[in-house]
Amino acid sequence: MSEATNVPFGPQHPVLPEPIQLRISLEDENVLQALPALGYVHRGIEKAGELNDFQQNVFLVERVCGICSSIHALAYCLAVESAMGLEVPKRADYLRVVWMELHRIHSHLLYLGLLAEAFGFESVFMEFWRIRERVMDLLEMTAGNRVIISVCTIGGVRRDIDAEQAKTIREELPKVREEAKRLVDTLLGDYTVKRRTVGKGVIPAQAALELGAVGPTLRGSGVAQDMRMAGYAAYSELQFRPVTFADGDTYARTAVRAHEVFQSMDLVLAALENLPEGELAVKFKGRPEGAALARVEAPRGELIYMVVGNGTKNLERMRVRVPTYANIPALLSVLPGCEFADVPVVTLSIDPCISCTER
Amino acid sequence: MARMLRSVLRNALSKPATRPFPEAPRAEFEKARGLIAFDCTDCRFCGACALKCPTGAIRVVRGERRIYFEPFKCIVCGACLEACRFGSVRMGPERRKPVYEKPVEVYAKPEDEEPPTPPDRGA
Repeated sequence: MSEATNVPFGPQHPVLPEPIQLRISLEDENVLQALPALGYVHRGIEKAGELNDFQQNVFLVERVCGICSSIHALAYCLAVESAMGLEVPKRADYLRVVWMELHRIHSHLLYLGLLAEAFGFESVFMEFWRIRERVMDLLEMTAGNRVIISVCTIGGVRRDIDAEQAKTIREELPKVREEAKRLVDTLLGDYTVKRRTVGKGVIPAQAALELGAVGPTLRGSGVAQDMRMAGYAAYSELQFRPVTFADGDTYARTAVRAHEVFQSMDLVLAALENLPEGELAVKFKGRPEGAALARVEAPRGELIYMVVGNGTKNLERMRVRVPTYANIPALLSVLPGCEFADVPVVTLSIDPCISCTER
Repeated sequence: MARMLRSVLRNALSKPATRPFPEAPRAEFEKARGLIAFDCTDCRFCGACALKCPTGAIRVVRGERRIYFEPFKCIVCGACLEACRFGSVRMGPERRKPVYEKPVEVYAKPEDEEPPTPPDRGA
């Protein structure tokens, strides 16, 4: 047996948008072991959440993640609302669904582009990001910002979608859908892409469950688990069934995300169709007391926020469990046995978000 | 071949997907979050905006009848806009231009004298 070679994969690597290190032991071209090293972008946001006013924390938690920012704000707001026993108006619930699903669309389009880039399919990468820009425009038109949209607030939402904006979204999304369909067919039907993804990094359903994988990583292994089924915001009133693929490989995880783009578009249109009239936010008095938990489905999987209030304007504790953190054990379990050339693509297939993970 | 030709023709005749950015920036959306500015005509210097600001970009000094605003601390969340009861905070759609220095903006009532130089804030 030849001697193992140790290769540091990251923290700076062309396929990694953010810094994470995988210390990889190789024998020839085969991975023997992969050990993660985290902590390059720790910012102490959980601690900052205890020092800030609980209402101002909404703006802070949005900055945990650069892609799914508003979903963090939603999870935090749901947790605080549950601690304070607030009832959110129906219209706010539906508007939250619209914005969260628009966020999911742009996050998944970003992932599909990055995956294509990971094995050098640059033109598809550019095309995905081109149509993603149109979704960003919809976000900016309705919420005022592209990514950190600051729409959620404790007790409701801060912005409204008027009839004209709803009309623009209704007109624009089918066009984006058509273009995305063409691109997704190209990506998922391509021979080379299939050779790079089918059968690479297979996580069996049982292993995915045991290792606590969440989101598209779990659904790509054929487990129909999606926190939107729990029915927070207005999801309980919209027709919703999780997308699953049974194979558990990189291709399946990509296919789950690609199909979720279309599902999210349907959800946005359905939410706009059923948008009830009414208040945007409830006025409230008082401060959170006691512990509360909120579980939502971020683009990368289940996101958990726990807040503990003590009746003052500062929280006793704010705890965040992000999806990438739950998916890293599943990733590490499939890397041994991979070829080294597949490590970037398999690593990217869990759509790692390191800023979330380290906060 | 025919498919390829169609693709080539379509791309040759269509407009480019990108813009020549610094020369032709995109038009702002009507409701985009842009520059924050204060109009002190009706301001009572109550400090509600400063209290709500999550980054501490606003400092209201009642005695001086001045608002000190640090635009580069501002995250354009609009919390001050919602907190103000007198309509003294304005937000337009245009974005801030890149600058070399990050000055503190001083706002005062129009009838008041020229704003003094901003105080030294220490390290």
